Order: sequence, then C-alpha cells, then structure tokens
Amino acid sequence: MTGPTAVDAATVAALADAVGGDAGFLDELADAYLADAPAHLAAIADAVRAGSAAALVLPAHTLKSSSASLGALALSKICRELELEARDGSLDGAPERAAAAEVEFRRVEAAIEGLKRARWVAGMPTG
Amino acid sequence: MSADSVPAEPAEDHSRVRPAAGARILVVDDNRVNRLVLVRLLTSLGHEALEAENGRVALQTLRGSRPDAPVDLVLLDLLMPELDGYATLEAMKSDGELASVPVIVISDVDDLDSVVRCIEMGAADYLPRPYEPSILGARIGASLDNARLLATIARQRTELARFLSPQVAALVSTPEGEQLLAGHRRAITAVFCDLRGFTAFSETAEPEELLGVLREYQAAMGGLVVEHGGTLEHFAGDGMLVFFNDPVPQEDHEERAVRMAVAMRTRFDELAAAWRRRGSELGFGVGIAVGYATLGRIGFEGRYDYAAIGTVVIMASRLSSEARAGQILANQRAFAAVEHLVVGERHADLSLKGFSRPVTAWDIVALRSAPAVPSP
Repeated sequence: MTGPTAVDAATVAALADAVGGDAGFLDELADAYLADAPAHLAAIADAVRAGSAAALVLPAHTLKSSSASLGALALSKICRELELEARDGSLDGAPERAAAAEVEFRRVEAAIEGLKRARWVAGMPTG
Repeated sequence: MSADSVPAEPAEDHSRVRPAAGARILVVDDNRVNRLVLVRLLTSLGHEALEAENGRVALQTLRGSRPDAPVDLVLLDLLMPELDGYATLEAMKSDGELASVPVIVISDVDDLDSVVRCIEMGAADYLPRPYEPSILGARIGASLDNARLLATIARQRTELARFLSPQVAALVSTPEGEQLLAGHRRAITAVFCDLRGFTAFSETAEPEELLGVLREYQAAMGGLVVEHGGTLEHFAGDGMLVFFNDPVPQEDHEERAVRMAVAMRTRFDELAAAWRRRGSELGFGVGIAVGYATLGRIGFEGRYDYAAIGTVVIMASRLSSEARAGQILANQRAFAAVEHLVVGERHADLSLKGFSRPVTAWDIVALRSAPAVPSP
C-alpha cells in the first residue's frame, strides 16, 4: 500500500465537491494526469542530464500545478523546488530532486489507482 | 449598424450584451489537467468553455470566432510553451477587435510582480492557484458584468454621437464634461431654422410621407451641422436649434454659423425641388443671433438635455419666425462679425415678442465669394 501523504484526501474531497461528486470526471482527470506526468518527468530528467536549467522550468512548473490540483502535494512541492531553483539558473539540487520526484510519482500513481478502484469514496463529501 | 441610417431610426446592437450565465469563455492553459478542471467548473456554472493549449492557439481561436458568437472572456495561464500568457495578453490588448475582451489571469506564479504586470497590461483580474471554485465563479461574473457595462457605454456613445452632436456625446464621459454640464455662461451664435408651410403640409400629408420628408430634411441638415462643427441642441419636428462656440470654443463661431445657414439653404432648395414635384410646397427660414447664454444640463433624472438658455436663443427663434421662405435673418451682433464675408441687406427693424425695443436685423443674401442666391 501507499503512504498516507501521496494524495491529500482534503484536496480530493474539495475537487470532488466542486464537480458534484462525478466519479467519472475524476477518473478522466486522473487518467489525463497519469498519462501526461511521465512525459513531464522525462523532460525534467532530460533537462538535468543536459544541464539546462532553462529547459527544466516548464515541465517542473506544469507537473507542480497538475499535481497540486489532484492533491499530490508532496510531488507538487518537489516540483516547485525544482522550478524555483531552475528559475535561479541553478541545477545543484536538481538530480536529487528529479530522482525523488520519480519515486514520489510511483506512490501517487498507486494512490490514484486505489482511489479509482474505490470510486473516489475517500474524496466524496460525507454525510 | 448601417452608416447611412437616418437619426430618426435607432439601430439596435446588443450582440455583445449577453447574459451572465451562458457566456463563452476561452480557457488558455498548456496543462491538460488544469484545462479539464476549469472547463468542468465553467460548464457547471452554465458557461460554454472553449480550450486552447497555448497563446498562439488562443489568438487563432479569438480571431477566428464568428462575430455573432464572440468569446466573452479569457482565462489565461502565464507560463506556456510557444506563446506565453504575457505575450498573449499584449497581443490581445493591441488588437482593436480583442482589446475589449476581459482577461482573467490564472497562474501558479503567485508573486506580486506578475500580478502587477498583468493588471498593468490590461488584465481584468488575477487569480493565483490554488483557487477556490466559488471565487473563480464570482470573479468571472464580475468581469463579465464590467465588460458588459463597458460595451454598453461604448454602444451608447456611438448612438449618442449619432443622435446628439458629437461634441456633446464626447463630453458625457470626461471630467471636464461634468463641469460643463453643471452650467456655464458664454457668448454663442445660435441658429434657429424651421420650415414654412410645414403645419399645412402635416395636416394633409400621409404620416409616411410626412416622416419621409422630415427624415430627409433632418438627415441633410444634421450632416451640415456636423460638417460645420455646430452643436445640435434639438430637432423638434421641423424646427432645429444649433449653436456654436460651445461646448467646444470656436474663434470663428459667427462665420461657421452663417456658412452653415447658407449651405442649409442651398441644400434645402435641392430637397424642396423634389418635394415640390410630389406636391409639397415647403420653405426654409433661418434666424441667427449672437449673444450670451447659459449652457448646461437641463431636465430631470433619466431625461437630460444639453441646452442653451438665454435671450440669444429666443432672438434666433423670433428672427426665424420673421424670415420668409429662403431668408436668413441675423441680429446686429451676428451680422457685424461676418459683414466682410457676406452680401447683406438691412432689414426693417423688427418688433419681436419679448423684446422691448425694436431689433435691428440683416438679411444674409449670399456669401461674398459665392454667387448670390436669389430669394424666392
């Protein structure tokens, strides 16, 4: 099982609430996220390998943003650190953070698959 | 709106005035997850959502949208490939067609600099992520309301410029305008003109014919008023009061007035010839007076006019009443100012209602440079 913090339950609940508890839409959103995230992670890895801080900004920014939308707050935080450092033109912490992002994404992926199987009940408004 | 509409027919143009729900909103974001969420929120608020994955695609969509189905609002991300939010905003604000479309910037770039920069560039609002869906809805509503208000003002200004004199229409929304509207005293040249035989004509003519003649007359005369820089105070049936030197000061206001009156007489003769062939016998008389008037806003809430009040206006009106068909009568002060420009004849002194002493009047026969127009 995944750790408790990969996907924030409160964020998912707010999102589910905003879309009227439409599990089908949450599935669609999750699928889009899971389909696009690997490309962003790959772009981050490429930028790190190429030593290009400029090329790192956009994929880190994008993954930060969509991760936050789905409640993947830890992954969003790592991406934010990557983005901010890259904006300053530095890649000092980037290799380590890029690796951490890869690992964290696996946890997020597993958590999301779990939410999908559970029809997002963890995120549904209660009562 | 057709350019050749006559003033009597207000053209309706509400194409940009749309209900708050059911607006067409373009979501511009390279992030598919963010787009999906926004589109879903907008749809649940009753709006129609369009999507663009970057600024370049957004501009294509905006420029390609049909005039009857315009984009009402843009939700714009800042950091995007190809064309970012700043460049998109800049392109929109420098495009006459798109400049009025409100833009709400939504971005993770939550530093103060980017907020200031976006607002300075013309963004209607700024919403940093993560946003509350209810706040997004409220801000969209507010921006749409603002845009509607601006569109209404723009439309009203256009219509005012067609119905009122352009000078007065332009005044309405300026700070100096408020002062001028509050009332001031100034020397003006007042020109009053109306038709001879119009009452008899209106009793016998069919309403359509009557309106047709009036529209032709008002359109032709209205054009000459604008051409000479006059302020049309009002059209009342066949009567028309135009003044000069206000609200825009004109050094040569007397000359403009006289040139306009002569041009009107010439134009009227052409119109009258056509009407005469249809059996309508109409004549045109003008009174011109120079003097002081109080100018400003008169009326009541909901129905204000920009008006001139003073003996100069009454004088012009009385002189017009005295004028025979084809005659332009000027008071002493008006004639003195244009004497070198016109061929004038001293008219018999007039006893005018409301004036205790006989009034010296001059008959403007013609402009000096032009061949004399014989009075009928």
